Amino acid sequence: MLRKVAIGLTLIAFGVMFFAAAVTIRPFGEPPSAMDDYIIEHSQQETGANNAVSAVVFDYRGYDTLGEATILFAAATAVVMLFRKRKDEASD
Amino acid sequence: MSKIVRTVAKLLTPAILLFGLYVIMHGHITPGGGFQGGAVFASGVALLIVAFGAGRVEQFLKEHQLSMLESGGGLLFIGLAFAGLATAFFYNFLVGSPIFGHVPAFGPNPGDIWTGGTIPLMNVAVGMKVIAGLSAIVLVMALASSKQGEDE
Amino acid sequence: MIELQVLHAIVPLLIVVCAVLVARFKDLISAVIALAALSLLLALEFYLLQAPDVAIAEAGIGAAITTAIFVIAIRATKRT
Repeated sequence: MLRKVAIGLTLIAFGVMFFAAAVTIRPFGEPPSAMDDYIIEHSQQETGANNAVSAVVFDYRGYDTLGEATILFAAATAVVMLFRKRKDEASD
Repeated sequence: MSKIVRTVAKLLTPAILLFGLYVIMHGHITPGGGFQGGAVFASGVALLIVAFGAGRVEQFLKEHQLSMLESGGGLLFIGLAFAGLATAFFYNFLVGSPIFGHVPAFGPNPGDIWTGGTIPLMNVAVGMKVIAGLSAIVLVMALASSKQGEDE
Repeated sequence: MIELQVLHAIVPLLIVVCAVLVARFKDLISAVIALAALSLLLALEFYLLQAPDVAIAEAGIGAAITTAIFVIAIRATKRT
């Protein structure tokens, strides 16, 4: 009984939070900062790339791409280390 | 896999791999980039592995070659980031230089491929890294799973 | 314009249907196929929201690589 009440209260709380987020969200295409206008106006002169997303990913926010590359490198290293066939058990 | 899957894979794999390379090379003009193109290329490799079995793919695509390609891509990426250190880390020092140095006009335009400074080179580096990493993950997992019994 | 609004209502609904199917299927391969369909519909939704970069990444990673990895793992655990 208590368990059902707890689950119901949690669901109601999540529903209220999602509803509040859906009501108070900003209109599509109007982010709350001035950085996007700067990038739209200056990225072609400063980086020479027509694709503004590529300019942001590889130039303005290069550190994020460095972190993503590190994550991929760690994942590939871990998987290869786990599943690589070893010399001593290659016979079976 | 069945004969239908193999025939379709033979027909489709060159187109998928070519589209992946196109997305990587045109990442600074059209939507896409190194990560997206590398994912498309690696999905082509995954199609090859699923259709023909990991054993046949492993005959011409070794795991240590993929590891070396991934490390090379990472080193190229970090090296390009450090090469702009005279101004700032990740500074785009090639804009205006003879290599990829054209500056496009403001506003929507078709653009040409000889623009972008270090961005196309970084696209190629990240593309190498993602191709090698995802292909190595799928290939090694398929090899380990096909070891335990039936192949294909 | 009204067609785009209808499409914006239909595609998330299909995504939710696919998610429920993923949780409901007993057969693991069927669940993986439903997950791939969810990824493709999500890529379509990203494209409708004018983010083609994210759409390409989602279609490549979610629909192809994840499905291949899941199928390989299910085959390795002998639970077809």
